[in-house]
Amino acid sequence: MRPLLLFLLVVLTPTWAWAGDLVVTVRDAAGQPVQNAVVTVYPAGGAPKGPIRFAWPLTVAQQNIQFDPFVLVAPVGAAVSFPNRDKVQHHVYSFSAGNRFELKLFGRDESRSVTFKAVGVAAIGCNIHDQMVGYVKVVDTPFAIKTGADGVATLRGLPAGQATIRVWHPWLRAPKNEASMAFALPAAGVARPAIAVEIRRPAGGHMH
Amino acid sequence: MFRFSSLRGRLTVLYAGLFGVALLATAVAVTLSVGGNARHQVEKELAAGGAVFDRLWAMKASQLADGARVLSRDFGFREAFASGDAPTVESALTNLKDRLSLDRAFIVGADGTLTGAPDIGQAAASDLWSALDGGAQSGVLRIGDTPYQAVAEPILAPQLVGWVVFAEKLDRQEMASLEGLASIPLSAAVLTRQTGRPWRSTDAGKAADPRLSKFADIKTSGPRPLQTDRGEAVALARPLAVMGDNADAVLVLRYPLDLAMAPYRSLLVTLVFVGLLGLALLVAGSWLLARSITRPISALDEAARRLRDGEDAHVAVETGDEIGRLADSFNAMASGIRERENRIITLALTDQETALPNRRALEAAIAEADPEGLYIAAIGVDRFPQVRAAVGYRLAGEMLRQLALRMGELRPGDLAARLSSERLALMFRAANPAEALRQLEALVEALSRPVQVDGQTIDVGLNAGLAAVADSHAAAPAERASIALDQARIGHKPALAFDAESYGDPASKLSLMSEMLAALANGEISMAYQPKHDTRAGVTTGVEALVRWNHPTRGFVSPDMFVGLAEETGHIRALTVWTLDQALRDQAALRLAGHDLTVSVNLSGRMLAEPEFATRAIDMIAVAGGRICLEITETAVIDHPETAHDIIDRFRAAGIKISIDDYGSGLSSLAYLKQIRADELKIDKEFILTLDRSARDALLVKSTVDLAHSLGLQIVAEGVETAESLAILTAMGCDLAQGYFIARPMPLTGVVAFLDEARALTAPALAKARKA
Repeated sequence: MRPLLLFLLVVLTPTWAWAGDLVVTVRDAAGQPVQNAVVTVYPAGGAPKGPIRFAWPLTVAQQNIQFDPFVLVAPVGAAVSFPNRDKVQHHVYSFSAGNRFELKLFGRDESRSVTFKAVGVAAIGCNIHDQMVGYVKVVDTPFAIKTGADGVATLRGLPAGQATIRVWHPWLRAPKNEASMAFALPAAGVARPAIAVEIRRPAGGHMH
Repeated sequence: MFRFSSLRGRLTVLYAGLFGVALLATAVAVTLSVGGNARHQVEKELAAGGAVFDRLWAMKASQLADGARVLSRDFGFREAFASGDAPTVESALTNLKDRLSLDRAFIVGADGTLTGAPDIGQAAASDLWSALDGGAQSGVLRIGDTPYQAVAEPILAPQLVGWVVFAEKLDRQEMASLEGLASIPLSAAVLTRQTGRPWRSTDAGKAADPRLSKFADIKTSGPRPLQTDRGEAVALARPLAVMGDNADAVLVLRYPLDLAMAPYRSLLVTLVFVGLLGLALLVAGSWLLARSITRPISALDEAARRLRDGEDAHVAVETGDEIGRLADSFNAMASGIRERENRIITLALTDQETALPNRRALEAAIAEADPEGLYIAAIGVDRFPQVRAAVGYRLAGEMLRQLALRMGELRPGDLAARLSSERLALMFRAANPAEALRQLEALVEALSRPVQVDGQTIDVGLNAGLAAVADSHAAAPAERASIALDQARIGHKPALAFDAESYGDPASKLSLMSEMLAALANGEISMAYQPKHDTRAGVTTGVEALVRWNHPTRGFVSPDMFVGLAEETGHIRALTVWTLDQALRDQAALRLAGHDLTVSVNLSGRMLAEPEFATRAIDMIAVAGGRICLEITETAVIDHPETAHDIIDRFRAAGIKISIDDYGSGLSSLAYLKQIRADELKIDKEFILTLDRSARDALLVKSTVDLAHSLGLQIVAEGVETAESLAILTAMGCDLAQGYFIARPMPLTGVVAFLDEARALTAPALAKARKA
């Protein structure tokens, strides 16, 4: 049902007729595609008002002593569920400003949800399993998506004109792990900017 | 090279020197070996110490890290830090710092902010952050000038939000606790520096010793020597990890060598002591051994010296070894030498024929005796050569031996000796010379009896000479006695005492001859000429050349003396050559003055034995064109009549006249007249001087004149001193006259004047003038 909703949303947007697509490729300094980079676009004219809906489930599962997905893009104010699919218990927490929470020792198939009220990044961890690290990128724009394994993020129906493209990744070497660039969005067709970022894996880091 | 005067010293020094060298080599080898061992040991221990320190360092880091990790993982702490709850965070840091007795505990935020370290400045904080961001986990951290051992643990919330840093001060106390854990007495120091700044040491918390700094500069991990204030050390520099980009840290471990050598020192002292003791023992031992070897050698040396000095040279034989045998041989040699010496002395002092002491023995006895009242008699057998020729050598010797025996019987207490082949000697004492002479006369008389030899009776005629030993004379007493014997024979006396005056002085005679040779050269000897008067013509037809010597100190020296001496000593040849040369020059001078005269030159009979002289004389006369008459003085016997004949023939063939001088005296005889084919005969002046008084002399002269004339010889009379004599000689038919009445010998100028005057007068006028 959610793709349908998204579809409807896109179709019903009044700017649709004069909107273009954006295909952003994120690569690291070595030219390798960067996965799990969150691309957000802020048109100069401001983002469309109204609730933001994404095509992916707002869920961060704990499976195989890992957070899945590693990075979740969630709209601000959305409730994200944290289902435990492991046999062990987890103690999920975040100390990130504005989005602090603590889900103590919930067991298998238990699910709790947390509402992320602050725009920004909530780093989530498990107090029992140090290796478990995940991120919820809380955004206030509908034009947001994370790159796939090929480092490509595709956004459609963007209004033409000046915009700021931001790329965030937990390992990106920049203030707040975010890079940004100004970009003129075309009225029609597909713009294909490529963005190179500096990525540094943390020592003894995660396998994402 | 130093030379030893004694074998003992050389042996001692040689042995002691060899041992000393060996000892020194041993000591050097042991010292080097011990030193090398110690150094090797030190290096090993130091390497081990270094490894221990690494472990300790790592352990300490691990402990710190454990503590830091406890904090960094604490959920509440992480929550407090992540949520910016600074008071809680700081209290947690303080709490843990106290609990773990840490020097420092603070947090470096991922954004570079520091919590719990207000004393770290902005630059240092940024430096630290970049080190931590670069992954630094542990190492040396400098805060201000103080070095720390620090560890950092990340705070994951769950992403990295900062680091907990725990640090322990690296001060002397810390070093001391490290040193205490080592098995060897190491000294440890951590040196740190900011890039481009000098090293600072934890030892003093100040600038490091320059030698230590230099040592730390060299990045070599192995042990190396290091000079310190307390002597040489072996040291190890281990670089330490540093938190921060612009700093270095080095852990320096030092091990002083003297500490390492300490256990060996007593060994070396013992070695030196034992070595010196050994050396002393060896010196003493060598000395004793050398003495035992050299003592017999010294004894031999001493004995050899005694042998040289003619003393008793017997050496005690103490051992049976080589030296003992040498001493034995030496003794045999010494006694052999002594025996032979005695025999030689005996032979040297004994006359083999008569077994009497010889002249040498007599002289030795004279030398040893008191000269006062001591007399030496020389007793000679008359005509001994003839007796010996008659009876043979053996019997002649036997005769002398008999005489000696007889003398021994007559004078039992006195020393009899054989003086020469025909002379015996007696050494005796007498109260005075007269008494001595009387005793000697008595002895000669008693001895002069026929001697029985081998059954034959030989008559012996004896003469004796006497010399007083106490008299001082150049000649030795035995020689004087012998001369006195000769004098006694000449004087036909049975015994005579030595007469120094009649003997003269042989030494002064010899010196006179050398003076004569000088005088010939310097003009002291000159010529005088005595005219020869032709009795029939009444004119001077010749002159006789006579040598005159006016000695600067002796005055006028008689020609009889020095010419005679020259004949005896062989200097007559030089004198004759000179005389002939001078006569030829003067003859030439006379010719220039208008007087052509025959010059007569005296020629010693000895010169008739020298053909070389004859050749030279003939040459000289021929070259000068001289008219010379050689007057042969017959002072010497003509030894080689044939040679003399030849020479006279050569003279005559060369136109030189030959005259026989001094005829009638000495040895002249009819045989002489026969031997020498002369042109002229000169009657000795002995006959002429008394011609006017002795009728007997007149007869002798007359008959000699007749004899000469009948032999075809001219006759010359010498010593014509009166007019009567001249008249008699003229009457007798004597051809030439010479003498003071006619003219004295005079120098050349006088001769010229005389001849000039005579030419002015007639011969009769001259005769009248003389008479007047």
